[in-house]
Amino acid sequence: MSDTPEPLLRARNLVKEFTVSGNGLLSRSGRLRAVDDVSLEVRTGETLALVGESGSGKSTTARLIARLIDPTSGSIEFAGQEVHALTGKALHAYRSEVQVVFQDPYSSLNPKHTVERIVTAPLRYQKRPIPGGARVYAKALMERVGLHPDHSSRFPAQFSGGQAQRIGIARALAVGPKLVIADEAVSALDVSVQAQVINLLRRLQDEEGFSCLFIAHDLAVVRQIATRVAVMNGGRIVETGERDQVFGEPRDPYTRKLLAAVPRIRPEWDAARRRNEQARRDRETKEAARR
Amino acid sequence: MSATETQALLRVRGLTVAFPTARGNVDVVKSLDFDLARGSALGIVGESGSGKSMTSLAVMGLLPKGAIRTGSIEFDGTELTALREREMQSIRGDRIAMIFQDPLSSLNPYYTVGTQIAEAYRSHRRGVTRRQARAVAIEAMERVHIRDAARRVDHYPHQFSGGMRQRVMIAMTLSMEPDLIIADEPTTALDVTVQAQILDLLAEIRADTGAGLVLITHDLAVVSEVTDHIVVMRDGGLVEQGAAERIFCDPQEAYTRMLLDAVPRIDDEIGLLRTMTAAQEDR
Repeated sequence: MSDTPEPLLRARNLVKEFTVSGNGLLSRSGRLRAVDDVSLEVRTGETLALVGESGSGKSTTARLIARLIDPTSGSIEFAGQEVHALTGKALHAYRSEVQVVFQDPYSSLNPKHTVERIVTAPLRYQKRPIPGGARVYAKALMERVGLHPDHSSRFPAQFSGGQAQRIGIARALAVGPKLVIADEAVSALDVSVQAQVINLLRRLQDEEGFSCLFIAHDLAVVRQIATRVAVMNGGRIVETGERDQVFGEPRDPYTRKLLAAVPRIRPEWDAARRRNEQARRDRETKEAARR
Repeated sequence: MSATETQALLRVRGLTVAFPTARGNVDVVKSLDFDLARGSALGIVGESGSGKSMTSLAVMGLLPKGAIRTGSIEFDGTELTALREREMQSIRGDRIAMIFQDPLSSLNPYYTVGTQIAEAYRSHRRGVTRRQARAVAIEAMERVHIRDAARRVDHYPHQFSGGMRQRVMIAMTLSMEPDLIIADEPTTALDVTVQAQILDLLAEIRADTGAGLVLITHDLAVVSEVTDHIVVMRDGGLVEQGAAERIFCDPQEAYTRMLLDAVPRIDDEIGLLRTMTAAQEDR
């Protein structure tokens, strides 16, 4: 075997088929293979980005790994255990070790619960003691994700989209997960807020050391956050590799097509902007010195 | 040069859109000025709540009920704000066409796409027979590269994919040969490979017909590729405007600089990203 340590999560030959019922006119009912022989690994402390267009099977793969649905065939091992064989206490433990952050923060947060209740819910569900009590623990969590701790008695609707997504992240962190599955977690956010949430996720991962499965369609976002990248198309992984290899020297034709399609701000414009920005700062420093 | 040649295709001055509320009027577009030169492409960019979509609806005269529009919108020498709804209808779809984010909501599920393109055409062209209009529809569908257009013309909207539906919308637009196309987030709901095809198609059509384009989007990379002139909006107001190259190379306003910093680059790890705390985010 190789020197690399056992991955935290290993999926082998995952297949998920759905029954599609015909609408009686043209199509007959049949089986749709949403995930077709997918194998992947998430290593400890890394971010594996699973990218693809709509219908590529990336979200279905994430749902299989979170055990929100069962595979048609194949296996998922988490810390050496077969995930789909877990029952009772072991399954309960898995549900705390793997946390999901969803795309739409508002629909994934109970609108009638305060932030305090929302972020401590996973601990209650796990029947674990809340360190220092709910109020103190909620405030500490909110601080970690950059929210004002005094707002712990507010409701989700009182927060902006970016802040609501931070609540979702705080809830995921409450139980100290080993794996965070982020399913298009920054896709619905405005660009300035998106940048902040990307930063937050990177910082938290440094601090807490969790692994991350990052599901996204936006390749520029993936470039910012991934350690490794797996590209999906038509239910299959067409290419997996280190981030810079996949972006810099993509091997698969579909990956190349995907990368070529991404709109880009001209690099020479960015370079000019950096020069102008530097000149502006120099001017400001000089003027400040003169005064 | 004559006056009409130098005149802008679209000239907006002091455009304000307000909604009355119990606590007085709320301005969602605040005294906006911009020009679109003939044959050029203008990008209106901003985050959610910036007023960019309200601006496009105001130009089209399609604001929601209750909205109060003031200011001047001059299109090819005609003051649009002075027109009756009937007159505006004849300009809309004929000389100014609009493409929305969600083509499915702009297409009627009960009629074939061919019928819809043909009827839109006939409503603006008197004396055109059904047969002629159908031929126009097929030709328009061919021009947006829908394969097998003669057969697909008889299909219903649900039989097309999202990208193909957007092509149908563009085909409908095209059949009218408009002078101005207003596209509000036309590719936002589409996959990136489909987005690239639709943007190419819009560029091709503009090159062929010389139509002006107003592109409303949140995506700075898209405007950088498509438009010549850019208007940056925030909270209903103008932040700055200028030639695309100037905005991207030498943004004057702190907000524009922050936006440009925040855009993730596919070729570069942003080093980065000025961090505000969440508490500073606008609520």
